Amino acid sequence: MSQSNRIDGGQIDRSRTLKFQFNERWLTAHPGDTLASALLANAVRLVGRSFKYHRPRGIFSAGSEEPSALVQLRKGAALEPNTRATTIEMFEGLSATSQNHRGSLEHDILAVNDLLSPFLSAGFYYKTFMWPKAFWEKLYEPIIRSAAGLGKLSGMEDPDTYDHGYLHCDVVIIGAGPAGLAAALAAGRAGLRVILADEDFRMGGRLNAETYAVDGMDGADWALGVIAELAIMNNVRLMKRTTIYGAYDHGIFGALERMTDHLPDSGDKPRQVLWRIYSKRAILAAGATERSMAFGNNDRPGIMLAGSVRTYVNRFGVAPGRKIAVFTNNDDGLKTAEDLRAKGIDVTRIIDAREGDVVVNTNGRKGLNTIFLNRGRHVEADCLAVSGGWSPNVHLSSHHRGRPEWRDDIAAFVPGGELPPGMVVAGAAAGTMTLAATLAEGHEVATRVATDLGKSGSLATAPRASDEIFATAPIWHVKESKHRAWVDLQNDVTTKDITQSYREGFRSVEHLKRYTTLGMATEQGKTSNMLGLAVMADASGKTIPETGTTIFRPPYSPVAIGAFAGRARGKNFRPTRRTPSHNWANENGASFVEAGMWKRAEWYARPGEKSWRDSVDREVKATRNGVGICDVTTLGKIDIQGHDAAEFINKIYANAFLKLPTGKVRYGLMLREDGTVYDDGTTARLSETHFVMTTTTANAVLVLRNLEFARQCLWPDLDVHLISTTDAWAQFSVAGPKSRALMQKVVDDLDLSNEAFPFMACTTCTVFGGTPARLFRISFSGELAYEIAVPARYGDAMIRAMMAAGEELDLTPYGTEALGVMRIEKGHVAGNELNGQTDARMIGLGNMVSRKKDFIGAALLDRPEQVREDGLQLVGLRPIDQDVILTAGAHFFVEGDPEDMAHDQGWMTSVAYSPELGHSIGLGFLKRGRDRHGERLRAFSPIRGQDVMVEVCSPHHIDPEGDRQRG
Amino acid sequence: MADIPLTAAPALGDVNLTFASCVLTERTDIALISVATPHAGYEALAAKIKDVWGLSMPGASASLNAGAMRAIPLAADQMMLAFTPDGGLSETSVQAELTDVAYTTMQTDAWAIIELSGAGATAALERICPLDLDPQTFPNGAAARTMMEHLGALIIRLEADRFLLMSARSSAQSFLHAVETSCRWTAP
Repeated sequence: MSQSNRIDGGQIDRSRTLKFQFNERWLTAHPGDTLASALLANAVRLVGRSFKYHRPRGIFSAGSEEPSALVQLRKGAALEPNTRATTIEMFEGLSATSQNHRGSLEHDILAVNDLLSPFLSAGFYYKTFMWPKAFWEKLYEPIIRSAAGLGKLSGMEDPDTYDHGYLHCDVVIIGAGPAGLAAALAAGRAGLRVILADEDFRMGGRLNAETYAVDGMDGADWALGVIAELAIMNNVRLMKRTTIYGAYDHGIFGALERMTDHLPDSGDKPRQVLWRIYSKRAILAAGATERSMAFGNNDRPGIMLAGSVRTYVNRFGVAPGRKIAVFTNNDDGLKTAEDLRAKGIDVTRIIDAREGDVVVNTNGRKGLNTIFLNRGRHVEADCLAVSGGWSPNVHLSSHHRGRPEWRDDIAAFVPGGELPPGMVVAGAAAGTMTLAATLAEGHEVATRVATDLGKSGSLATAPRASDEIFATAPIWHVKESKHRAWVDLQNDVTTKDITQSYREGFRSVEHLKRYTTLGMATEQGKTSNMLGLAVMADASGKTIPETGTTIFRPPYSPVAIGAFAGRARGKNFRPTRRTPSHNWANENGASFVEAGMWKRAEWYARPGEKSWRDSVDREVKATRNGVGICDVTTLGKIDIQGHDAAEFINKIYANAFLKLPTGKVRYGLMLREDGTVYDDGTTARLSETHFVMTTTTANAVLVLRNLEFARQCLWPDLDVHLISTTDAWAQFSVAGPKSRALMQKVVDDLDLSNEAFPFMACTTCTVFGGTPARLFRISFSGELAYEIAVPARYGDAMIRAMMAAGEELDLTPYGTEALGVMRIEKGHVAGNELNGQTDARMIGLGNMVSRKKDFIGAALLDRPEQVREDGLQLVGLRPIDQDVILTAGAHFFVEGDPEDMAHDQGWMTSVAYSPELGHSIGLGFLKRGRDRHGERLRAFSPIRGQDVMVEVCSPHHIDPEGDRQRG
Repeated sequence: MADIPLTAAPALGDVNLTFASCVLTERTDIALISVATPHAGYEALAAKIKDVWGLSMPGASASLNAGAMRAIPLAADQMMLAFTPDGGLSETSVQAELTDVAYTTMQTDAWAIIELSGAGATAALERICPLDLDPQTFPNGAAARTMMEHLGALIIRLEADRFLLMSARSSAQSFLHAVETSCRWTAP
């Protein structure tokens, strides 16, 4: 059998034949086919099984509204379930399989569900699986999950790539049917920047599917001519295979362009691009979707929408059947019979519901063969073309919650309420259902948009055509039918389900939808919503507008999650920042930890070291006993300049800065407006008007942003200017008793004696024979220490030169873990302590806060919680049993007290193993902590299963007097 | 003092990549000095840069150049001077010229600079740059701060199909990956 249903005509390329597979069977097609048209051409009618009852299903439509013909496309990792055969463009080697059956498509063992249908009505799961409760998770849910769903995922990583992009235009035209093309022509000729997008791979919309004439020529040819004219306009961008799936704020539209879905493979290019389109205006010309009518067994393969039957005949040169009957409630449906006869196809009967003729039942196990009419008549047919009228595609008009309005004359909802700003609707989407009127409206709205945007170029005249007869009657449901009548083919929702759910009290349309699953999944109600509403209206005795309508949300049709993710996958999930010594660290055994976007060396493993602790302990000891070096470039650096820079900084920090002398550094505490400490760091004064502030790594961006806010909004009269220099300087901390000896080798001609360059001094200088640098004598480790900064371009050379210069001093690089150990030993607070709940008193810096000036946070320093006598205070902790490893997060209790909130004394914030002390140490917050040094408490951590005794001590485990750093 | 001369390393290793319709090159020859205008100091600064380099103050959205010097707007009271150092012009000399009329900060090391050129440059940028790069909206000389692939960036149009893209030095490899991927994926 080779394309036995292929007939003459159509917009396919018969000069080439493509081979494709359906359920492992090789078939042929032509370029220009969809998978659906190719299957029909090959007389394949049974394409899949339905969701709930596993009923045989075929091809129902010819577009993205398809509810039934869902297939699994491609193989292996690229397999994509639930793709609509009607939207898949044919390519050589295409492979598709049917889905939702156990066993073969023809002999699906789960078809037994159909026999059980009386028990599987709306709300079945909710009512049936209520008891015993324990069965739900272990038994019911796994069984239901295994039986439910449509296609299956491959379970492998998606091998394709996806991208994002940004486009800008004056007007985006959504849909390239007659209205969209007429609008694009007028807008393009007027000189507007136009984006014309259509989900199809061939622009023209219904003009490709009908036999109407425009401007005296065949409609499809007219469309080709217009597209050719638009294609050479520099101001027009044509985007076929592009679905505008959502209308967002400020004229922004989401669009999915399928770049390689029509190719055997993507090569090295992204499969799809998710565009963000910025527009001044939008013309919604998305056309209309035909709907069915509900009658007995209206879901068999061979029962199709009438307009889609015309599409297959006229556009694809395919006869969906050889004996076709037409069932319609409108004149447009009658056009089907004309087109079929023109192609020599046998039209076995025209059943016009307006004349009292209706279909009450159908027959044919895996495909239609007989139609039963009222009054006992029957007709033989292998295809039934059904037209229940057309529903305008209002979807995008309601993405800002505009509620569609009912129009009796076309028995359909049209865009209503508040449309997205800048949007106008034209053509069938607006309820203008005839060709001449649609073309005129497209032209007219585009002309209006052009004038609105100040363009008055040549618009020419609207394309001319005749208006066909379009009269429709609101006939939805053949009530004399005694058989099950489907409303939603995709979710197996029947008229009975809807009336039943109404009886059970689901009176709101939104509730109906959720209870019955009407309009869910890929179809999203495109063919089913109106029918569902009509049946519900009937059940309630109300009109359709009184019953209401659901509104639509993005996306218009399914968008792969991969497309939303775009490039943000794997290691490209987010950007990475590297320190200037990154390459050197990499060469020297460093492992890296993520600190925000930064990769920081956490320790440098040496041969023979068995665990990270070996490396960290070694680094700490080497630093405390000799000299260590650590890349601290990640700390935020902000250049602050201006005549009022000192005053500005004085208003930012809680402690005094106004009189910081040039050449000095000071530790500063930054508060939120509620008095909570949110960042700390040092600020150096390089000149009368020039400061360099450092922040924590984590808060570098936040602090700069807050400073900008303060500068621009709080104190705009101050002459102060900010710019980040975090990345401009490579900065290294050099710590340990031998750090002075090392730095003396590094800096050029600078006296580093304690007298000449004491603790908290700073200066600009040069290093290694002339490279500009900044030197600060500051210490986080508690040792004699310096920080040396050079322009970042010299960072890599600097670490290598430092290591070379320090070789004789056994200079040891240390990472963030050793840094953490040393700061805990010294009792310096970090993120664990500054957790957003901490004020200056808690960390023992209450006296540092100035009471003589105004600063951010000053007003709320003395709230009752902050001044309570039993407030939390920072303490040090050490285990009574020195072999115990303390755990952060443990809570403190007095021995003998119950472990509850009422007796909670505080918690452990940070812990480390101190190589110098030879045991575990901790920092923590304890009620009245400073008065309780020497007290023994329980450190209780139910999460980690630890309950140990600790002794409270000073947070300064090492060198409490600070002699080392000042030495 | 140990005598170990330090060698400058380019942020992107002097990268130079040619694609089907565009070329991506790291510009290591451009020095950057940010210049903040003191309160009530606009006229003095404007007069000074006109006098020294024949340069006018840039507006909000366009860079200006005069001879070797280009002024790029950064913020309401801040611009960046970009230039190629040569015998008479250096970071130090530019800062020294402006000592009395502006607050300057050396920014050369804070940025990685990529020049993207060729007929496919705009198509590549469409994938990462949210700005409208239509020549009517973003003509030659236009400059803007924006985000590309989550990274802060400065974009300057030098010619119809030649752009300077600047982003932070520490994340330069990620920025390069973003631009390079765009060039590769949009190559015809």
